Amino acid sequence: MKIVVAYKWAPNPQDATVGAAGAVDWSRAKPAISEYDPVAVELARELADATGGEVIGLTAGAKGVDATMARKAALSRRFDRAVIVADDSLQGAGSTELAAVLAAAVRHIGDVDLVITGDSSVDVGGKMVPTVLAGQLGWPAVAEVSAVTGGAGSVRVERAIAGGTQVLEISGPAVLAASTDAAVPRLPGMKDILAATKKPVQTLTVAELGVPATGSTVTVKGTSRPDLKARKGQMIDAKDPAAAAAELVAALRGTGAL
Amino acid sequence: MSDASEPENDFDVVVVGAGIAGCVTAFQLAQQGHSVVLIERGEAPGSKNLSGGVLYCRGMQEVFPDFLQEAPVERRVTRNYINFLNAESSIGIDYKDTRLADPVNAVTVLRAKLDPWLAEKCEEAGVFVMPGVRVDRVLTKDGPTGKRVVGVKAGDDELRASVVVAADGVNSFIAQEVGLRPKQPLNHLATGVKCVVSLPRETIEARFNLTGDEGAAFAVVGDCTEGIGGGGFIYTNTDSISVGVVLRLDDMVAKNKSATDIFDHFLTHQFVAPYLDGGEITEYGCHMVAEGGMDMIGDIDMDGMVVVGDAAGLTLNTGLTVRGMDLAVASGVAAAAGIASALSGKDTSKVGLAGYREQLFASFAGQDMKTYAKAPSFLEVQRMYKDYGELIGNVLYGAFNLDNQPRQHLAKVALKAFKKSPVKIRHLISDGFAGVRAL
Repeated sequence: MKIVVAYKWAPNPQDATVGAAGAVDWSRAKPAISEYDPVAVELARELADATGGEVIGLTAGAKGVDATMARKAALSRRFDRAVIVADDSLQGAGSTELAAVLAAAVRHIGDVDLVITGDSSVDVGGKMVPTVLAGQLGWPAVAEVSAVTGGAGSVRVERAIAGGTQVLEISGPAVLAASTDAAVPRLPGMKDILAATKKPVQTLTVAELGVPATGSTVTVKGTSRPDLKARKGQMIDAKDPAAAAAELVAALRGTGAL
Repeated sequence: MSDASEPENDFDVVVVGAGIAGCVTAFQLAQQGHSVVLIERGEAPGSKNLSGGVLYCRGMQEVFPDFLQEAPVERRVTRNYINFLNAESSIGIDYKDTRLADPVNAVTVLRAKLDPWLAEKCEEAGVFVMPGVRVDRVLTKDGPTGKRVVGVKAGDDELRASVVVAADGVNSFIAQEVGLRPKQPLNHLATGVKCVVSLPRETIEARFNLTGDEGAAFAVVGDCTEGIGGGGFIYTNTDSISVGVVLRLDDMVAKNKSATDIFDHFLTHQFVAPYLDGGEITEYGCHMVAEGGMDMIGDIDMDGMVVVGDAAGLTLNTGLTVRGMDLAVASGVAAAAGIASALSGKDTSKVGLAGYREQLFASFAGQDMKTYAKAPSFLEVQRMYKDYGELIGNVLYGAFNLDNQPRQHLAKVALKAFKKSPVKIRHLISDGFAGVRAL
């Protein structure tokens, strides 16, 4: 069984700052394997080990995705090998564009039985890529996947739905997005990191994949801080505690809070 | 002994900690063709590092000749401002010198930027950089001359090497674990609280009287720490200001003060706040600082292991200059040389590694640690942090405050202020004498 895990080398918004004018400064945010992607790797590894398959890491982005650190971070995870589409034309690429490139890479890899992704990317969080990727490939997409069993050509997928769990039998290839808690990812150890540099990596450019141009692209025109909620800003002088308490109660009554 | 070529070694050398000392050691050993792994606890080198400050950069330039052109340095320090800060007055020595710019003597750096650059240099030199791994303990075995370090363990994995380099910072648990460093007394330790305040570079240049990439370093004593042993600092980066206080732990405990309260007091001090006005705090954190000087340097070598940088206690506070990073570079250079000769001599015992200690104490770093050996106890004198500043302030107030009273000779004004101050003649003599000898 050939399983592709699409992962993202993404900066963590925890380290980004939003300026007073609303501009987002990502310069301090170091990229890493996107938060939920290790869950997808774990899910894929368990399935591959049970069925005797192969797990291929796949990512696409600007040149940085192929930096030594990025390779090491990815391949110290439980992939057998990686395919990396490193192309500066993908700098700032949106979900639609990235999904198209990933789809082309999946076709390039060939005979893929399953693509598994994380729940969403840590930097954008749009939950778009798995479905757009599936659409590009003409495969079914299933999100919120909590468990996968079975083998090539027929997998049994559990997914969370409102009020319960749904079990699906899928024949043929599919794209699955793992729920955030589908598996507990293992942290790479020293031996994993050492072994990472020995795993095969194929590096590709967008041109080599022959990705058809997307019809339209999304361009960010601006960002701004959300408006602060209008507050009354009413201050109560607490010199006389009893009077202050009475005033507070009256004020809360007046607004209907009490 | 042929331990240097034992077949089960994964690397010649394991370096724990990708700060300055660790990176320099790893870089130089890899350049000489040794196999080196550099293990870093942070997800990426520098990610755990809040620090920044003044790096006296000559040593670094010997390791990386293009350091000033290539490395992410912030500003070249040409203005040193030594400041006695009182609640209502501020007295300073403003030392600006173009000779400090050519050749460049000191630069301000932000470690979050510098450390990744150093790690990249290591990688280029052939070091295996391994971030995101926390070393749990060192592996030892009993040898003919006692315990010998043979590698490190993290999680379930072990890595073996001829030499382990402990470059894991001031709290080096590795050096402590093998008994190279006893737990430090409180007066050897200080807590540093700092923040980075973002401001447009033009604003910084205007406020600090700088041109281009010139930088300023302020060393402040007195009211900035509310009289606690230690001091304050203000350093200019390209488009931010690093500002913080260093507070001696024993004094804080004795006076029952909180580090964050003192830091807030410093930031809002009427003579400090204008420098930071309108800025945005982009980083805030605290860190342990070693202040013990020479006394703090413990054993820095044993069979199969050496200790470098902050982990070895290599920090120096002379009152005027606070140094650590340049000593880290020097210890890295000395360690790399000592380890290289131990590896080629196939003897990585304490005796084989002795070249490290020799070279360290022959270098300016070791010499300076000896020269300033008395600085820490001198700087423990309480009068430094309150009384002297107020005394000078009162003398100057008497001289400048023309209050329609007949003027008195400056000597008389000084004597009057002196009589009011808790500082006594014998203090002046003993502190002056100690200061001259210590600094």
